[in-house]
Amino acid sequence: MSNRMLHLAGALLAGVAFAFSSGAARADDIVLGASVQLTGASANTGRYYKDAYEFAIDKINAAGGVSVGGEKRKLALKIYDNQSDVNLSVRQYTQLVSQDKVALLLGPFASNFALADSAVSEKYQIPMVQGGGASDQIFSRKFKYIFGTLAPASNYFGSTVKMLKELDPAPKSVALLYADDAFDVSVANGTRPLLKDAGLTIAMDEKYSSNASDFNSLLSQIKSNGAEVVLVAGHETEILNFVRQAKSLAVAPKLYSFTVGVPSEDFRKALGADADYAFGMTAWLPSAKLKDKWFGDAATFAKDYKAKYNYDPDYHAASGAADVEALAQAIEDAGATDPTKVRDALAKLNLDSLYGKIAFAENGQIDLPQTVIQVQGTELKAIYGANGFIEKPKYPMPAWDKR
Amino acid sequence: MDLLAQILINGILLGGLYAIMALGLALVWGVLNIVNLAHGAFIMLGAYLSWHLYTYLGIDPFLGLPITAIIMFALGYAVQRGLLNLVVRGPMFNTLLITFGLEVVLTYLAQLTFSADFRTINPPYAGNSIALGPVVLPQARLMAFGVAIVLTLAMWAFLLRSKLGRAIRATAQNLVAARLYGVEPRHLYAVTFGIGIGLAGAAGGLYGTVSQINPYIGAALTAKCFAIAIIGGLDNPFGVLVGGLFLGIIESLAVLYIGATFADVASFGVLVAVLIVRPSGLLGKTA
Repeated sequence: MSNRMLHLAGALLAGVAFAFSSGAARADDIVLGASVQLTGASANTGRYYKDAYEFAIDKINAAGGVSVGGEKRKLALKIYDNQSDVNLSVRQYTQLVSQDKVALLLGPFASNFALADSAVSEKYQIPMVQGGGASDQIFSRKFKYIFGTLAPASNYFGSTVKMLKELDPAPKSVALLYADDAFDVSVANGTRPLLKDAGLTIAMDEKYSSNASDFNSLLSQIKSNGAEVVLVAGHETEILNFVRQAKSLAVAPKLYSFTVGVPSEDFRKALGADADYAFGMTAWLPSAKLKDKWFGDAATFAKDYKAKYNYDPDYHAASGAADVEALAQAIEDAGATDPTKVRDALAKLNLDSLYGKIAFAENGQIDLPQTVIQVQGTELKAIYGANGFIEKPKYPMPAWDKR
Repeated sequence: MDLLAQILINGILLGGLYAIMALGLALVWGVLNIVNLAHGAFIMLGAYLSWHLYTYLGIDPFLGLPITAIIMFALGYAVQRGLLNLVVRGPMFNTLLITFGLEVVLTYLAQLTFSADFRTINPPYAGNSIALGPVVLPQARLMAFGVAIVLTLAMWAFLLRSKLGRAIRATAQNLVAARLYGVEPRHLYAVTFGIGIGLAGAAGGLYGTVSQINPYIGAALTAKCFAIAIIGGLDNPFGVLVGGLFLGIIESLAVLYIGATFADVASFGVLVAVLIVRPSGLLGKTA
């Protein structure tokens, strides 16, 4: 914490970010570099990555480190705060590879960051394993050095749309709202054909500005066109405003689902009772069935993480921890830290982790099924997975004054 | 037709919220000639203050507004006396720099103190609404709108009728003449800035009740307030109210007719148009 205080104070006074590492790096440590949103508009989610990276690295080091050619070596982290500024993050990744000479790269949060930063890893031919960018755009450029551990954005609503067909009474019309950034546009582009194939009418298909705070007009339109299902791809602040304003305008579709927010504890806390009935999705649940070399299993990971950082990890944190594990495994498989060799080992990786199976496709992205989740009362429940319903959904959502 | 009516209502209520956020900025700008780039950050602080009052002391955000405003007034008074007064006679650029610096400092202090977690002020009635036939009036926004009207009237009466208000206006119009009549500008500037920040604090409490709070909401709010102040003009609190309503309605209609990504294009487009056609604001005196 004092590191972080020092860091923020420095950024304040000098207006210049400087780096801090988790523990002092020794000469033979393998240094992993990252630039993450520790301050600025995305700081809320950015912290999952910093905490997850440190948590996983500390765990691996506590077990002795990674074996490279018969010798145990420890990992170290060099992390910069990109202040939620894409341009700054590109400069910081350039600095990490060109001046700090880090061995390998971990990713930032969010697709637009990963999209820009992966150009650096590609140029310098240093593999980056990132768990924060899901947009299909990142992986459609035939880059060789970018690997992603989030499921493809285009399929975020895949399981939700499947579930819609099995609901009783089945909804007929859908409103699709999405923010105008790389991730959310990919979500919308992927969701549209799914809705059409499912025979659902798209009553509304509307893009809005990132960081919009007023949804009253869009909500009034939803009420007016009678869309029964509302799917929103956006950012947590927008979703918060959306739900609060839906209540104050008494707009209650039969179901609404959001790409972000629902799995995060502080999001549910901020909404309180109004979070009830909200659907979302996650590619990760802290299940004891997900075995892990370092943490034992995902449930233990979640418990220890909460004990250390005092908040529940969500899929961002699991994905971030999995990135460190993927790199560690690839180093062991390659028997070296040479970036090209690690890159080839990553491409062949087949790792069972706390996050699920990590095996990258040709384009560098993994595929994980999304489990539909819903807030029911104060609890977060898994509703619909690869094999159909897990738990009964609370559906349809009642009018706000009937709750 | 119902939809249009609803959208217009949304726009008017949104405009009321905008107006109350911009009132303080316009006052400080008009009297001190300081474009306070930290205005949004003060709104954010006011929101956190109201949040704490509500969450820990159970004080209703609307009843807590005077408390928030008084604490923020004191903060504003101190900031003006201790910091801004150093550059008040300097070139405009210096005041822009110092208030920009202040906004960065306040934002990062807020993250250190409150973390980047999202907060909402969520009293039980926050989501209630009143149905008028096919049109729905969100209760919290309606109350915020009422507060905006009351504060605008109060500001107007204060500036026009009270001795202090007259002294503030006199200082804004002619500093030398005001001093000759015994006005002490240092105290007066600090009081004016304090009132501006107090208004920002009250606006923050309302904002937190209808929207969400995090340390980074400030910058976007400053930009919006800036646009409203220019559209409405700096001479008169009613100008700000008109500017806020105008902007709220324009944005709501833009979402309906052009598309949601164009809300900001529309509002800042209006800003440019007003600057060209009526540079002193919609209600400003024409040159």
